[in-house]
Amino acid sequence: MKKYAMVIDMDRCVACHACEVACRSHYDVPVPYYRNWVHDLRPEGVYPDIKKVSYVGLCNHCDDAPCVKACPTGATYKREDGVVVVDKDLCIGCGLCMDACPYGARYINPNDNKVDKCDFCIDRVTEGLEPACVATCIASARIFGDLDDPKSKVYQFVANGAQQNVSDKVNVGPNIYYLDNHNEFPIIKAAFPPKVPKMPTPQKLWTNILRPLFYIAIGGTFIGQLAAFATQLFKGESDVKE
Amino acid sequence: MGQRISRLNEDIKLDHDLLKGTRRLTFEEKRILANRVMKKHGVAGVTLHWVNAISWFLLIFTGVALLSANYLKFAPDWYLDMMMGIFGTKSAMLHFHIAVGVFWVTTLLLYGVFGYKNYVLDFIKHDLTIDKDDIKWFPAKAKNLIGKLSHYDMPPQGTYNAGQKAYAVVVAFSTVILMLTGPIMAFHLAPPIVIQWSMMLHFVATMSVFAGVFVHVYMAALFPEERPAFFSMITGKVNELYAYLHHYKWWKEIKNQEHEFFAEELKKDGIHLPELEECKNIKDHQVHVYTLDGEQL
Repeated sequence: MKKYAMVIDMDRCVACHACEVACRSHYDVPVPYYRNWVHDLRPEGVYPDIKKVSYVGLCNHCDDAPCVKACPTGATYKREDGVVVVDKDLCIGCGLCMDACPYGARYINPNDNKVDKCDFCIDRVTEGLEPACVATCIASARIFGDLDDPKSKVYQFVANGAQQNVSDKVNVGPNIYYLDNHNEFPIIKAAFPPKVPKMPTPQKLWTNILRPLFYIAIGGTFIGQLAAFATQLFKGESDVKE
Repeated sequence: MGQRISRLNEDIKLDHDLLKGTRRLTFEEKRILANRVMKKHGVAGVTLHWVNAISWFLLIFTGVALLSANYLKFAPDWYLDMMMGIFGTKSAMLHFHIAVGVFWVTTLLLYGVFGYKNYVLDFIKHDLTIDKDDIKWFPAKAKNLIGKLSHYDMPPQGTYNAGQKAYAVVVAFSTVILMLTGPIMAFHLAPPIVIQWSMMLHFVATMSVFAGVFVHVYMAALFPEERPAFFSMITGKVNELYAYLHHYKWWKEIKNQEHEFFAEELKKDGIHLPELEECKNIKDHQVHVYTLDGEQL
């Protein structure tokens, strides 16, 4: 079994945004949305001790993906190889997955009003190619591979201490790892902490209050009519012409 | 005066007597009324009812299976598996749901647009407005169901009784909600926040109708006293005994129309029936109270 993952080598990234551009052009992602992003942070510290980092991000293809649980129709699902994908045929554009995603990796594409996100370029990967962002990266800062294969580069980087963007509150098993040799990752974690998955008001209202009420009402009328019908059957019907 | 006219005169004498108010019927009168029929539903109404019923059936059976998220799901996993087995893929099921929905909305819109004057306005004015007798009906029906009140003592009802009217209001409102929220979700016509509210309203509307459908089906198809109502949804006709006992106000209205028509037609032939003229002058009906005495109809 495969389990695809990606490692971002923060030392190698030069914040050229080529990965973002490659992704945008490959999938026709309209501005200002993205499936794959580089957020440049302001320099931190006092000269000469200055750190300038960029948050390279994409869908984390979480093991316990909150978006999969949130999707009402099953349009978002996790493949056996660990990739979280969106079946556009089933997506109704309700955005519940967007409220659930801790990493803000999803957007509604104005072209079809359906949700869109990184799918690890799964069409390219099945053909034996690398994802567009990986293939285009000038510094090989993005490393893609199978986490279940001990010989793979990703496996070795993760074994040697690449970190996930998780917090005490939110840890849903993300599969994007960050390789950090200069203690820069805490800056990213502070600036872009994973968000607690949310459920919008109408769905909360329905799940917690309205649905139980309707179940009681439907059960009530059903049992009531069943009882009435049973009484009718036990009594028997008269043969008098109505 | 020919034999037929004298028979008509006999009929009108009975009408004339019954128009004065509800009363206990003799066996002979019951027999006469049971053999007469009245038109209750037109072809448009019957067609709409069954198109609506079949559409609802298909839409609920597929709609329930479309929701797979744990916190929204209505059906157990085996049901979802079964529906996937029938439709092959979930996207085929979704498209079927949308196709039936489009058919349903189109039918209702056509009915609404072309039948606006003939059916819709008339239905709202005539059959959905509630009067004193309707309000009295609810406690009376409760007593009637537990056997403490005979149906002779029920407040007289129009074309539809108060329970049917109440359900019709729920269905009418839900239908409007479903006709709006359905296309919004199916064709992604709004931003996510609107779609989220649409989903909730879609469920609320469906469930409101679904909660009443058991009563609707049981009362019409299985409950002995109301069973003529079920056949009227196929033939469009009910017998007058049922109309007299269950929908007295409507029976009276139809009788008045009928007498007016008779009077005009007979006038052309130069025949004058004094009782027929009198029937027209009976405007207010009186409701008398009788006990059932263990006799069943």
